[in-house]
Amino acid sequence: MFTQTASMPDASSPVSAVFRREPVFAGAALFLLVAMVPTTFALLLDSRTFQGINVWIKPLKFQFALSFYLATLAWFAGWLPRGTTTSIWYRSFAEAVVFAIAAEVVWTSGAAALGVGSHYNTAIQGLYPLMGFLAIVLTSASLVYGVLIWRDVHSCLDPVFRFSVAVGLILTFVLTLIAASALSSQASHFIGAHLIDGSVSDAGGFPVMGWSRDGGDLRVAHFFATHAMHVIPLVGVAASRSLSKATGRLVVIAASVAYVTFVVFTFVEALQGRPFMGTGF
Amino acid sequence: MTPDSIFQACNTLALAGWIALLAAPFAPRLSDRVAGLIVPLLLSVAYVGIMLAFWSGAEGGFNTLAAVMKLFTKPEIVLAGWIHYLAFDLFVGAWEVRTARREQIPFLLVVPCLVLTFMLGPAGFFAFSAIRAARGLSPVASGPVH
Repeated sequence: MFTQTASMPDASSPVSAVFRREPVFAGAALFLLVAMVPTTFALLLDSRTFQGINVWIKPLKFQFALSFYLATLAWFAGWLPRGTTTSIWYRSFAEAVVFAIAAEVVWTSGAAALGVGSHYNTAIQGLYPLMGFLAIVLTSASLVYGVLIWRDVHSCLDPVFRFSVAVGLILTFVLTLIAASALSSQASHFIGAHLIDGSVSDAGGFPVMGWSRDGGDLRVAHFFATHAMHVIPLVGVAASRSLSKATGRLVVIAASVAYVTFVVFTFVEALQGRPFMGTGF
Repeated sequence: MTPDSIFQACNTLALAGWIALLAAPFAPRLSDRVAGLIVPLLLSVAYVGIMLAFWSGAEGGFNTLAAVMKLFTKPEIVLAGWIHYLAFDLFVGAWEVRTARREQIPFLLVVPCLVLTFMLGPAGFFAFSAIRAARGLSPVASGPVH
């Protein structure tokens, strides 16, 4: 009776494509998207705040960001070497990644329900380091994807585009690891005095993103680091369509260097206690 | 959004689901979808949102009657408990209608069960199960469809 409700959209849609390419990642991405509905309802009901903003803003950001990450990986899974997604090692790895993501979401949402901090919360011995380890597990999916796509010489993808996808994925892993370990080695994501009434506050941040507007915020670098897997392949699409193979490759390399420079800039900017793009936003 | 306004909204929503169930003979697919899926899901969203927001602030627990009574001293938790009734009662009602249709139990026999399920939850489930058992014992009812 409910088969129609549960049936997939027509076979050519992007949604059915990601489900065909990587059903576990696609399913987890959809689940997180659906989980945003009751979480948004909780946001509307709950008046509790953490560091000056509603406790449910952070879980919502995590649910959306991780859903987007999983959906992207599910899309990219179509470009993995033939046979990869059915191999036993890959299936175990993919399940570990989804488990790590589920744990991160439960952790951030659970902390919000309790009205306590998730990151930088050391109340339970060993929990914060464990979540850090699981964060590395989930990020490592981009490294594994990047390396596999890089080495796949038999790929039917355009070589310039394939190069950009591999570089973007590997940069996501490397840059995120650097930005996130810097974040976790601090006492907070803020650098410099970002205090309201004597305590750390997220209030009055950047629209949507919530980054600090009156001091350094390491989450800026984390954000751009993680999105290398989206930005560089977009450059790759344009380069592969309009340029020769050699030139296209050079453009992808140049764009990657520029992007890394930009991420390093936002990183140094935060470490120096300066807000992203000044205070004009 | 106050607990009172959510209470009113959820009651109205559940009532719409029950009306859809009563209309099942005329619009079976619509009725199944509204009462068996859409309304229970909307109520579930409300329930989960309320529990996420207010559960940690509640006192009491599940282990003893006294603990449960203490839990139900907080309006938001009572509201969640009420939505729990609304969602699951309607879901059971929709199941009764589908089961009756599959087993060719006349809808007139289902209506009293629906009324009981609506008002007294488990009493309706018991009545419906009794009707199924009674028909299962009857050779006429369990004979081949003519």
